[in-house]
Amino acid sequence: MVASTASAAVGRGKMKTVSLQVNGRAASMEVEERTLLADALRDELGLTGTHIGCDTSQCGCCTLQMDGHTVKSCTVLALQAEGSAITTIEGLAPADNLHVVQKAFSNCHGLQCGFCTPGMIMATIELLGHTPDPTDDQIRQGLSGNLCRCTGYLNIEASVRAAAAELATQKASLPEPRTSVPGGRGRR
Amino acid sequence: MDLMRHEDKRLITGTGKFSADWNFPGQCHVAVVRSVHAHARINRVDTSAAESTPGVLMVLTAADVTAARMSPIPSGPDIKGVGGQVISKGELPILAIDRVRFVGQPVAMVVAETANAAHDACEVVEVDYEVLPVVASVEQALQDDAVELHWNVDGNKPLVFESGDEAAVNQAFANAHKTSSITINSQRLYGAPMEPKAIVVNHDAARGVTVVHTPTQGMLGMRASLVAVTGIPAEQLEIVAQDVGGSFGLRGGPGPEHALLILAARRLQRPVKWVAQRSELFIGEWHGRGLTLAGSLALDKDNKITAIRFEDHANLGAYNCYFGGFIGTNNLSVTMGGAYQVPALYMRSTLVLTNTVPVSAYRGAGRPDIAFAIERLIDHAATEHGLDPVEFRRKNFIKKSAFPYTTANGSVYDCGDFHTVLDKALDLADYKNFSQRRQSALAADKLRGIGIGYYVEKSGAGGAPKDEVSCHFNADGTLTLHAVSGPSGQGHETAYAQIMGEGLGIDPQHINYQAGNPAQKLVGNGTGGSRSLYGTGSAFKNLIDIVIETATPFAARHLNVNAEDVAFSNGQFMGRNGAKGVSLIELAVGLYGSTGNTEKHPFDVSAETITGANYPNGCHIAEIEIDPETGVCEIVSYNAVDELGNVISPQMVQGQVHGGVVQGAGQAFSEAMIYDASGQLMTGSFMDYAMPRAGAVQSMVTDTYSVPTVLNELGSKGVGESGCSGSLPALSNAMMNALHHVGVGAMDMPYTPHRVWNHLQQAKLENTA
Ligand code: FES
Ligand code: FES
Repeated sequence: MVASTASAAVGRGKMKTVSLQVNGRAASMEVEERTLLADALRDELGLTGTHIGCDTSQCGCCTLQMDGHTVKSCTVLALQAEGSAITTIEGLAPADNLHVVQKAFSNCHGLQCGFCTPGMIMATIELLGHTPDPTDDQIRQGLSGNLCRCTGYLNIEASVRAAAAELATQKASLPEPRTSVPGGRGRR
Repeated sequence: MDLMRHEDKRLITGTGKFSADWNFPGQCHVAVVRSVHAHARINRVDTSAAESTPGVLMVLTAADVTAARMSPIPSGPDIKGVGGQVISKGELPILAIDRVRFVGQPVAMVVAETANAAHDACEVVEVDYEVLPVVASVEQALQDDAVELHWNVDGNKPLVFESGDEAAVNQAFANAHKTSSITINSQRLYGAPMEPKAIVVNHDAARGVTVVHTPTQGMLGMRASLVAVTGIPAEQLEIVAQDVGGSFGLRGGPGPEHALLILAARRLQRPVKWVAQRSELFIGEWHGRGLTLAGSLALDKDNKITAIRFEDHANLGAYNCYFGGFIGTNNLSVTMGGAYQVPALYMRSTLVLTNTVPVSAYRGAGRPDIAFAIERLIDHAATEHGLDPVEFRRKNFIKKSAFPYTTANGSVYDCGDFHTVLDKALDLADYKNFSQRRQSALAADKLRGIGIGYYVEKSGAGGAPKDEVSCHFNADGTLTLHAVSGPSGQGHETAYAQIMGEGLGIDPQHINYQAGNPAQKLVGNGTGGSRSLYGTGSAFKNLIDIVIETATPFAARHLNVNAEDVAFSNGQFMGRNGAKGVSLIELAVGLYGSTGNTEKHPFDVSAETITGANYPNGCHIAEIEIDPETGVCEIVSYNAVDELGNVISPQMVQGQVHGGVVQGAGQAFSEAMIYDASGQLMTGSFMDYAMPRAGAVQSMVTDTYSVPTVLNELGSKGVGESGCSGSLPALSNAMMNALHHVGVGAMDMPYTPHRVWNHLQQAKLENTA
């Protein structure tokens, strides 16, 4: 009910096409100018793994990767994603091959209802991408944009630590580790 | 690596199905027009501009609701109060008729081709309001000249409730050697499950059934309330809740939106979808807590408690909805003596209506509040009279030998061992060395405090007459379980599969669980009052024996022996003649289709249990450090020993404790729903309403102790709500323990840095004055 009449009127009726790459595949969708990326992915492409938990950019449920960096997709207009490469939670586990971070969340009981989980997992992947061996404070910092109402965060933090350890083991045993996010354009 | 829970695979891959994830061909969308005033007369609702907005299909107002003969939102049980007075209720209409009583109350609903079009049209629904005086707080609502919210509720007081023996308590206070009193305020909260409310209604005209997809913690309860509201027969309503993103008490029954979407879907004969915006849920979903408890205790010369008295107020918001009235009465009274042997108890509680969002259940629903009050009272009395808080508790605890124990106001605690649990917690927390830790903290200019919270709570008695379960053996050798209780994060699918898997010797991975499948026609309780494990879980325990009994004659035939000569263990039927056995699953697969109906396997049986409440309890000990320069508090140590009877899944129990404790920490340190005097909500988003983030509680040591209850087949007690009940008193007592030493007296939650700092400054001034 906070939307002002002026902002609500923006883009009404005007449909535009946005073309982008989602989880490694080309996609295009027809959206209003005001359509948010989160809504477009959910409504136009049926990628409902990206959740929407708030309307003030506070909860992080909508976190995904855009050109290799996490964004809250409720703060990005779909049109701003023109030409970019998006990875959502659905794109992490091609052919059932679960990502280390996904497995860690389950093994450490880092999820209960699972609504915050896609965002938490995406935030963790970003964190471990640039900080492979995070301190507790760095973990909390890395998750500071994500709310969870169920777990009390302790097992989420444990999940992040377990994933970091597993990735380190894999790195030690493999000369060329697979990139953590398929379809991403590389990391910062 | 095996995943820990059955439900995890879909949730970590983004392939779960939450309510907003449902879409149906031809669906239309709705948006709700909500009151912007806390109290106003509605002179006119003009929908003409909205109706002519492109894409708009229909605008519903109170007239449509009346024409459809819908009833108000269920207003809770008819509780009796002082002198046999029955609660008078202000009932929440589906859409405001001629008056709005809180900011956020639904006034109209727009149905349009797209969600954007529906929201746009809401902006042009013209409501002519005539603003009325507002009572935004209990104090305002109880003033003599206060405006009355409902014609049938005198003085904005639906009920004055009492429990216990007032005369006996007065006598005990008259004879008391010492007394102590304290008032605690359990501020209004918003439970805020992370999944926003969403509803997708699809009317299946061919079957004549309206299917409602919505997050709920009880499909039967949701349906029963919708039957009551809409008048549609139960057979014509189905509730689907595959994945639910948290419920915490908020999602037992429908809100006005559910009824409106059903109305629209049946009228338009199209699927209708509503996904709430978070900001409208802050003002449109039930709030929690909102209780003030003034407690006193009387001591004899040996410091034995002779009486406890409470004078409570419950702010119900503008209408009686669901559990609001029950929380402030029954739920505050049943454990008002806490873990203590108290010969005389009396509580009186006044329910009050105000121009705020209606209050209903939130994790614990009165249990954490009374546990908090009683444990603050105990610590306060100990501080006031120079008693050791541990010894004072020990002296007054109900002894193990006294169980079953009937409290002075009639609750029967079935079992417990409070002394042992306390000792375990003290060890875990290294309580005896606290003073050294306090000294080291002082050396670093920090104020350190320790606090004990010993809670006893009554878990849910359940509203259904029994909990029924059933099972179906599938062609592929898997087993499907059915019951009513639906999960919203607790892990039902995993726990029930574990119980059945252990009992039947089947890999739990081959067992799946379906909640609320309408074809099963089962009776049972939804998820609430922490009872899904010990209620539904116990019924599953009973199901094990029935499956084995049913399968035994088939096994005998298969093994060519008499049924009496068949033994079952570890999933195998063995004949006593030493012949090679047969596994239950082999046998089941072989018999698949043998009834001529693949829906009905000969081993498909059902079971039930009838079990009421039990009394989980436990001791939480928190240690906090305050930086007096900034008022910032840190929880430096948190230890919990919960007495939950038999534990089925230690890891999931720990998860419940973590979640509950951190929700308690949210209430203690940061969360508060705050209204200004005009009834406008000041904390309407996650920017103003500060829920804990990662790091709020940095570590927690949890342990359990088991005194199995005989009240259910599993011997288990509820755990879902205990985290809040233990943490509120432990954290608050730790805060007061730290602050008392520098002369700070009573302080309300949340203990925000600003508030703590202010109190410290005030104390400094007073000390130097
Ligand atoms: S939905 Fe994007 S931050 Fe909440
Ligand atoms: S698991 Fe429910 S919100 Fe995080």
